[in-house]
Amino acid sequence: MMASGYSAKEEDGHLPGASGAAGSGVAKSKKPDNTAFKQQRLPAWQPILTAGTVLPAFFVIGLIFIPIGIGLYVTSNNIKEFEIDYTGADMSSPCFNCSQSSSWNSTWPCRCSIAFTLDQPFESNVFMYYGLSNFYQNHRRYVKSRDDSQLNGDKSSLKNPSKECEPYRTSDNKPIAPCGAIANSLFNDTLELFYIDPNGTRTQIPLMKKGIAWWTDKHVKFRNPGGTNLNLSTVFQGTAKPVNWHKSVYELDADLENNGFINEDFIVWMRTAALPTFRKLYRIIQKKSNMTPTLPRGNYTLDITYNYPVLSFEGRKRMILSTISWMGGKNPFLGLAYITVGSVCFFLGVVLLIIHHKYGNRNNSADIPN
Amino acid sequence: MEDLSWEVRANNRLFHRKQRRRSCLCLHRGRYSDNVIRSYKYSALTFLPLSLFEQFQRIANIYFLCIVVLQSIPAISTLPWYTTMIPLLTVLSVRGFKDLADDLARRHSDSQINRQPCDLLTNEGFTSVQWKDVCVGDVLRLHKDQTVPADLLLLTTTEPHSLCYIETSDIDGETNLKIRQALAVTHQELSQVWCEEPNSHLHSFKGVLEWRDMRHLLDTGHILLRGTVLRNTRVAYGLTIYTGLDSKILQNCGQTAVKTTQVERTLNKVVVGIVLLVLLFALLLAVGAGIFEARVAPGIEALAELGGRYTPVYKVFLTFWGYIILLSPSMPMSLYITFELVHVIHSLFIGWDLDLYDGGVDVPAHARSTTLNEELGQVRYLLSDKTGTLTENRLIFRQCCVAGVLYGLLAVSCPPHSSPPLDLSWNPFSCGGLQFSDKRLVDTLRKPGSPDVREFFKALALCHTVMAEWKDGAPVYQAASPDEETLVGAARELGWVFLSRTRDSMTLSELGHRRQYQLLALLDFTSQRRRMSVLGKPGELKLYCKGADIVILERLRKDSTYCESTEKALEVFSQGCLRTLCVAVRSVQEGLWEEWSRALELAAMTTGASDDLYDNMERELTLLGVTAIEDQLQVGVPETIATLRQAGIKVWVLTGDKKETAVNVGFACRLLDPGTRLLQGEELRSGLKTHGRAHECREGHLALTLADILILRARSKRHILYKGWTGNQSKHTTSSTPPPSLQVEFEEQPELGKRFIALSRQCQAVLCCRTTPSQKAGVVQLIRKYTSSITMAIGDGANDVNMIKTAHIGVGLNGLEGGQAVQNADFSLAKFHFLRKLLLVHGRWSYRRISVFLRYFLYKTSSFAFVHVWFAFCNGFSGQPMYETWFITLYTVLYTSFPVQCLLPSLSWQDVSAEGSLRWPSLYQLGVGRQLFNPRLLAGTFLYSIYTSLVLFFLPLSVFCFSAIDFQTFSITVLILQTGYWTMFNVAAIVFSMSMYFLATLILHSPLLHTIAPADFYFLGTRRFLAAWHLTAPSLTGPHSVSNQGTSCIRRHL
Repeated sequence: MMASGYSAKEEDGHLPGASGAAGSGVAKSKKPDNTAFKQQRLPAWQPILTAGTVLPAFFVIGLIFIPIGIGLYVTSNNIKEFEIDYTGADMSSPCFNCSQSSSWNSTWPCRCSIAFTLDQPFESNVFMYYGLSNFYQNHRRYVKSRDDSQLNGDKSSLKNPSKECEPYRTSDNKPIAPCGAIANSLFNDTLELFYIDPNGTRTQIPLMKKGIAWWTDKHVKFRNPGGTNLNLSTVFQGTAKPVNWHKSVYELDADLENNGFINEDFIVWMRTAALPTFRKLYRIIQKKSNMTPTLPRGNYTLDITYNYPVLSFEGRKRMILSTISWMGGKNPFLGLAYITVGSVCFFLGVVLLIIHHKYGNRNNSADIPN
Repeated sequence: MEDLSWEVRANNRLFHRKQRRRSCLCLHRGRYSDNVIRSYKYSALTFLPLSLFEQFQRIANIYFLCIVVLQSIPAISTLPWYTTMIPLLTVLSVRGFKDLADDLARRHSDSQINRQPCDLLTNEGFTSVQWKDVCVGDVLRLHKDQTVPADLLLLTTTEPHSLCYIETSDIDGETNLKIRQALAVTHQELSQVWCEEPNSHLHSFKGVLEWRDMRHLLDTGHILLRGTVLRNTRVAYGLTIYTGLDSKILQNCGQTAVKTTQVERTLNKVVVGIVLLVLLFALLLAVGAGIFEARVAPGIEALAELGGRYTPVYKVFLTFWGYIILLSPSMPMSLYITFELVHVIHSLFIGWDLDLYDGGVDVPAHARSTTLNEELGQVRYLLSDKTGTLTENRLIFRQCCVAGVLYGLLAVSCPPHSSPPLDLSWNPFSCGGLQFSDKRLVDTLRKPGSPDVREFFKALALCHTVMAEWKDGAPVYQAASPDEETLVGAARELGWVFLSRTRDSMTLSELGHRRQYQLLALLDFTSQRRRMSVLGKPGELKLYCKGADIVILERLRKDSTYCESTEKALEVFSQGCLRTLCVAVRSVQEGLWEEWSRALELAAMTTGASDDLYDNMERELTLLGVTAIEDQLQVGVPETIATLRQAGIKVWVLTGDKKETAVNVGFACRLLDPGTRLLQGEELRSGLKTHGRAHECREGHLALTLADILILRARSKRHILYKGWTGNQSKHTTSSTPPPSLQVEFEEQPELGKRFIALSRQCQAVLCCRTTPSQKAGVVQLIRKYTSSITMAIGDGANDVNMIKTAHIGVGLNGLEGGQAVQNADFSLAKFHFLRKLLLVHGRWSYRRISVFLRYFLYKTSSFAFVHVWFAFCNGFSGQPMYETWFITLYTVLYTSFPVQCLLPSLSWQDVSAEGSLRWPSLYQLGVGRQLFNPRLLAGTFLYSIYTSLVLFFLPLSVFCFSAIDFQTFSITVLILQTGYWTMFNVAAIVFSMSMYFLATLILHSPLLHTIAPADFYFLGTRRFLAAWHLTAPSLTGPHSVSNQGTSCIRRHL
């Protein structure tokens, strides 16, 4: 519609000139068309805010938002979440020694274990996260320091990584795979969970390491060079491991589907967090049967292979266990936001109703806007 | 003679070809340009550089070019280069294509003009060539109704006396025919012509024809200008003098100054403000980055390693530039082009409006300038011409006063139908149309022995510049001014019929007797002289003079009779709103004539200053009588003025008429109310002298009659004198009240002008009488100088052109006095009362729409950019963009601005319908007071955008769902809430925009693009994205809608 209107103008503009050149040609009336568009009389709906429309709107918004909010809040509250800090910054912490000694160069893994108790059983699938704080994974220099082509299996990028990866581009004159600061700082603590029976026996809880990455990441964005069926160690021949890593990228897992660039722990880490304090999915604890809860009430220990140093930047490391619902993880804010908005609407509705009732008759006659 | 340096050799192509002007870049060689019109600006080679050069004169485009350059430096490029490049290219190419299309259209019309045929004299006689092949010195043959291809010296024609008639409507808009006559010597052969260098003066020309050692003077009467049309003449021959760019009409095609609007100027300031703000924020964030780099970054091994090479100060420096890039989307890039488009379409709406279309003359309204629409909604001062603007300019001969006797009855006391029309059957030339019913006059006329009356009508029939064209056995008069046409027509009805004229004779039929008069000289009318005279020889030599009463009355003989009764008659006429002209005669001795004509010839040869000589001749006059012509008010004028006054617009009337006439018209068109106190002359002067506020003028009950402002231009142009704020002309003892004149020098006493404006502000209306065209412009300048209000000038004649050009907005009426006013105006209308809808409806809507559009634009861009400021606190001031880069790229161009979102609401939005706007004129005052686009509101918009960006950042922060999509939702929601006027186009626009977003997101995040260029397309996995949006959107929009509705509701109630 716009385009046609505009071109009509161009013709208009040329008309006087054309008729001037051709003398007084056929006398065509210059009367404008009587169309709704040109006369600016398009049928329109003009909402005028009156007490009659605004008051019901307020109440309706209130009445819709408050139940939604309550629903969200209740759902969120039903989600069970357990969080434990295992940084070991305190002297009392079992991991204190590990935290003091750990550094990127330490070759000997330091182990510690922390005991905790779940007061409530966790039903259905339980998600296990690790959380880091004060780690600026969203810093621009850090975010840029990767080569997406290399991660996507491009062979030339494998041998010649992007300049963005500097200074983690080459090591000993060999290209680093995967290059860049993000890969280099891969979270490398190992967490294991044990259930302590009331009678004292430790049962290891099986942790699923697959299915934690986004499907699209795993199948589209990240690919090993030369497909999946080849022997990865030959594919990665001639490349160096990132300097902070203890093993090469093709040694991350024995499972071919979870090794190399498509290792899911690696993929999860490579999806950088938006805030300095974040959590990332580590493992999934699958529901065993309908009869027993996934994690029954009781005592547990968390065994940590403590590799990742965080004290230099006053960071914290956490382990989080959480169930999920239809709305995702635990998130009381959303529900509260809905409830707040709804109640404010309702409250305003009441206030306006009172105002309207008291003063409403005053300016009924004056229908001039403004 | 030395200034006649332009040599033209007849039929000597070789001579002129050799000196043809060639130009390369800025170097010109040769002096004769060819006759090819090149109005196009670009060639295939120059298009790109020139068009880019023009576009980069916009500060915003330069800014974005700098950003692109910055972005190409890897160390600081926080956003990839395409985020700015794509919008910039879009904007540049849209504009470029528009220019290209315009230029192609110009080329097309150029070639059409250049290929018109004309006949050229060659060795083999006349051959047909195209216009572009015409060269200086060529002899051309023109046929009837052909357009003249170049400035020609008329050589001969097929008409008797080598006369020819031309129409100059394409040059000055005057539709009457004009006479040109060839010199007698040029009928046979000629050799060489010397003339002045090409210049732009349309109405003057000096040249010398050399032939057989004789020098013959040439003036503008021998010249056919390019663009004129030959009429009523079978064939004319001419010698080409100026071709192409040298011709007068093209020398006149100067660049007209582009008017910019208040809103645009504010906008430019805002743009500069945004740049400064971006710099400030970038600086603050860079300081933050410095602190972060010094305190936090060394602890994080990865960050320390990554930035290891640089010192912290250098890193801060980089961060500063990085943030300048990141915050650059706050600059509304596509704003200007969208703004322009909105303007154009608003202008189209004006042209399309049926209510502004006059069926009688088939003229719709036309916005000649498409940049001033919103100022139509802000006019505070309307300066109107009277004649032809407030009045019809369809003149009726009502009364006359001959030899002290008043003939005819006042129109008011005598409605046309009450008395029987005169019986004019004795006159074979009578065509009817005379609304004059005083039988006494006819009786006196036909009675022998009434020389005064007969002389009066003879003067009317002789003293004019009317052309007679014979159609169906009756003369049809064509006149430059309607006054003349009316007077000559009246003389015809009463028996003194003007039949025809040649260059040196006129033929009349006097009560049936045919007589020829020799025409010796014609002292033409100018707006300065305000009179014209004819020297004729009806037996004895006589000068007939016709002009404005004051001019004539001061030139009368000392012993003239009837002065008193004439003045009384003048008073009566002006009370009846009649236009008066005095007619006088003088007998001239042969000796005096010869001496005078020699002096005139000499003057014409040397200086061209003939006004003094004219003055000498127009003296010692004997008054014959006074004519009174009625000029009826246009339809709807009183209502329109009343409405405009209610709308808060100050209406000033500037007229060349007498004070009394102006005041009467003022009352008639309800500019003045019956109870109005008139402040004029001495009273006004003393008021201005003592103190502007000394007058206890109660508002609304005071009209100011600014009589006789004389602006004398001294040698330096800035030196303007205002002289004589007096009730009447001071010098003339004949005037009724002769107060001493007052010389007010505004340059030296600026406070006087200020006081005058201050005083006028308390007045209901201002009438300025006796103004010349330049004085009209002076009044406009006075207002513009001492107030910041928007002025609008409306007029219909050439005498209003100055005023129209000086005012913020000039409106031209398609009147009877040619098209000059329209050609210089920004808007053209057919009738004065259309002004009501133009201002109150189109102007108001335009102002409202454009203000809201601009505010929305600024809001959307700045709130978009501000989110990055808050995000900086979470990412260590590193300049990490929060949105995905493609979103930033497409945000301004595709999602929110260009297609429809901004455009449609700004095109179709109506807060009050057209009828409503007209019914409540006071709604207009919103625009007069600039209440919709001012610094305060802009600051409010700005704060609002900060609030929005805070909500946008911290709500998702709390919800833990970082996605850019929320912003899109939000900005659209804001738009929905602001629209408040829904047509199907708006709905379509929103739907389109939203679907564009989802579509673009799907495409940009498709696996395919990722495999092609992994670095540029992140590929996020869209499905989860959308799911997240569904949850967060309501929580974001909820509070906003609540606050919006709440505030508007509370505002209504309290």
